[in-house]
Amino acid sequence: MKLTKKEMAMLSGDEGPVIAEAMDYLVQFGEAFGAEKLVDISYCHYPAEMAIYEGNVEDAVAYSKKNVKVRVPTTNSTLSADLEKPGITGCPAPLVHLQSEIEKAHRNMGILETYTCTPQQLGFIPPFGSFNALVESSAIIYYNSVLGARTNRGGLFTRFSAVTGKYPYMGYLLDENRKGTHLFKVTAPEEMLKSQDGWSALGMHIGSIVGSGVPVIEGVKANKQEWLLSFGASLATSGSVTLFHIPGVTPEARTTEEAFGGQVPEKYYEVTEQDIKNIYQKQSNIPLGSPVDFVTLGCPHYNLEQIRYVADKLEGKKVGDSVRFWVCTNRMTRKQAEYSGYVETIEKAGAKVISDTCPVESHMRISTCRDFGLKVPNIEAMVCDSGKMIRYVGDLIGCKTALTSKDNCIQCALTGRWE
Amino acid sequence: MEKTFRVRKIVRGNVEGEAVVIPGSFSFLGDVDMNTSEIIAADSPVKGIKIKDKILIYNETKGSSGGMVVLITMSKKGIGPAALVTVKPVDYNLAEGAILSQVPFVCEPDGYILDEIRTGDIVRVNASEGIMTVKSRNSRAE
Repeated sequence: MKLTKKEMAMLSGDEGPVIAEAMDYLVQFGEAFGAEKLVDISYCHYPAEMAIYEGNVEDAVAYSKKNVKVRVPTTNSTLSADLEKPGITGCPAPLVHLQSEIEKAHRNMGILETYTCTPQQLGFIPPFGSFNALVESSAIIYYNSVLGARTNRGGLFTRFSAVTGKYPYMGYLLDENRKGTHLFKVTAPEEMLKSQDGWSALGMHIGSIVGSGVPVIEGVKANKQEWLLSFGASLATSGSVTLFHIPGVTPEARTTEEAFGGQVPEKYYEVTEQDIKNIYQKQSNIPLGSPVDFVTLGCPHYNLEQIRYVADKLEGKKVGDSVRFWVCTNRMTRKQAEYSGYVETIEKAGAKVISDTCPVESHMRISTCRDFGLKVPNIEAMVCDSGKMIRYVGDLIGCKTALTSKDNCIQCALTGRWE
Repeated sequence: MEKTFRVRKIVRGNVEGEAVVIPGSFSFLGDVDMNTSEIIAADSPVKGIKIKDKILIYNETKGSSGGMVVLITMSKKGIGPAALVTVKPVDYNLAEGAILSQVPFVCEPDGYILDEIRTGDIVRVNASEGIMTVKSRNSRAE
């Protein structure tokens, strides 16, 4: 790998051992993938250092004590607890205590405390074509596809990028890897794709076919931000999709030809009404009329409009006694939702607005319960409008699940039954 | 009879162990219990098998970018896989996890390993040399 003089100096320790180590990891990483150089990045979304992973927080705290600051604007991802209102999720005190250590550590490093999977909703939008280093698969695919801000599927190496401002020039940073690989023509009726759950189902279907490819989707009207967000989150769940193009919608594909870099493939995959129905069927195993005791909205984290919508629907109503109803978001949005009165309306109905975390990242995971000597929460059935949440919750929390519309989620919460 | 494949090195190392073969894609988040290393994905053909000290062979990495943290956590606990082998090019996210936890990682073999290697076969992964070898067949199979 070719390094600049400045990079060589960083690598050889001129800026201290922490920077030298970070550069060493980045060079090792780049060389494994044949990167020819490092590039300057615009923005980082940093791992959450979740307390449910043994040693994760301790490691982050130790790193922050090296007194190194991030060199590019850096936000952080979700936690295992709601740190502003720790009691709200029933998170045990030792886990809250451990998790809260991350706040000081990240402040020391200059990391912005967003604690969310959707930093784009808070205005962290680097320029089109810029290079970035992000974690969180649903954010990664959104930045790449909808914003045209380039990033690979980052992990803990985001740390090394944040403190150096560098990333190897490889993968989805390169033009040649951003071309479409599979063409999809959607013939399923438009009404099926007018909701987050519909787009979620479409994403689950396409992701399972393309794996790590770059799908190009024709025949859809995608004019809502949250549809594209749900779609991407699902593509990155059933596959490891990092980038998609929707001709006429996403910025690197004004046309199908442009999405494929000139040559449109002859072979295409049709997505039918039945394909979408199959996903709902596959993700739903709650017998009709049987109890639902957990309703989750906010995967990925809801924005202010989505919270307002839920508040509007719950106004003057009451959720079932045995139902946990979580609406998950970030801290800043919850503050505004409190100010606007939405949180009060939702709480009066017996539901909760949770920040910083979500069910699968919380203490409710079976393996985490074992670690902390907790009783497994014994959830019967969860409904959600996100294919991503449904996919993970079944195995990680161990309950029956169903993918359904936001309105039906709210209805199930009110009756306590799968409708 | 030994059979050798050329592979692409991502993370160096040279280890031998029992293979766990997953013909499809695999997510470290959700498909494996990070306390026991047991495969928990309901639809997995190797559900119930532990991947501790095994050579985990699968087609392609999928799922959350939290996957690398699961790998690192398992490795720290001493219950991580001995090596990782994927047919498709390596996922960047998981490569980071493998570098940090020093798990040998290779990809893109020059043969149909998912057909030719079975769960329980003894396999050596010499990532540093870019070679993987099937040492002996699982006698329980067939």
